Amino acid sequence: MEACSEPPLDAKSEVTNQLVDFQWKLGMAVSSDTCRSLKYPYVAVMLKVADHSGQVKTKCFEMTIPQFQNFYRQFKEIAAVIETV
Amino acid sequence: MAAGEFEGGKPLNGLLNALAQDTFHGHPGITEELLRSQLYPEVPPEEFRPFLAKMRGILKSIASADMDFNQLEAFLTAQTKKQGGITSDQAAVISKFWKSHKTKIRESLMNQSRWNSGLRGLSWRVDGKSQSRHSAQIHTPVAIIELELGKYGQESEFLCLEFDEVKVNQILKTLSEVEESISTLISQPN
Repeated sequence: MEACSEPPLDAKSEVTNQLVDFQWKLGMAVSSDTCRSLKYPYVAVMLKVADHSGQVKTKCFEMTIPQFQNFYRQFKEIAAVIETV
Repeated sequence: MAAGEFEGGKPLNGLLNALAQDTFHGHPGITEELLRSQLYPEVPPEEFRPFLAKMRGILKSIASADMDFNQLEAFLTAQTKKQGGITSDQAAVISKFWKSHKTKIRESLMNQSRWNSGLRGLSWRVDGKSQSRHSAQIHTPVAIIELELGKYGQESEFLCLEFDEVKVNQILKTLSEVEESISTLISQPN
């Protein structure tokens, strides 16, 4: 993903970050010390985000498949709305 | 140990519930004495302790193997035939308990084994930007997305991101690639 070349100059960039990179992997948890038969797939995401000063931080998180599907569905809604604004 | 003291029914179901809360769902303060006094007040502590350990062990084995109903029946039947095992009434209570709580226990086990942050929530809004003093941009809509992230047992962290339409569509494309991978994975035999 490319960085946005024209960062917005308004006040809210104090609190919000720009997404610089979005990496993902699809993993399968097989087994653990507390559960020998885990067997669940998950989506791991690594975001690189830049704050208003340009400093880049990395944020990682995981989603179960239902969580990912909800995440995807929300983005589709955002896209639908942003198109009409 | 008089088997009759530990017959199945409500106290055992209550015990299994409490054990699940303690072992899987991380509920604090569930002590052996609390359980004995609430559920089996007539049983002396030295008899209750091994019984509790046995039930906890059985529940952990069932959860760890994520037993399906056939495996569960076979496992519980074997337990009833063992020396110092369980009664068939107790087996019936355990079976019923696992069938109704399996999903929730499994979810807790999944959460416990995730050491990264999980996605706890997502909220968003779309702002329509109009011309500003500093910028010549007119009417560029912007999506503000707030992600709520958190590690198991820890407080949430909030991450606020801003996207223009181009970026939203780029992410959508990436997410459709993820979905394709998921479909491929699911369609493959285990």
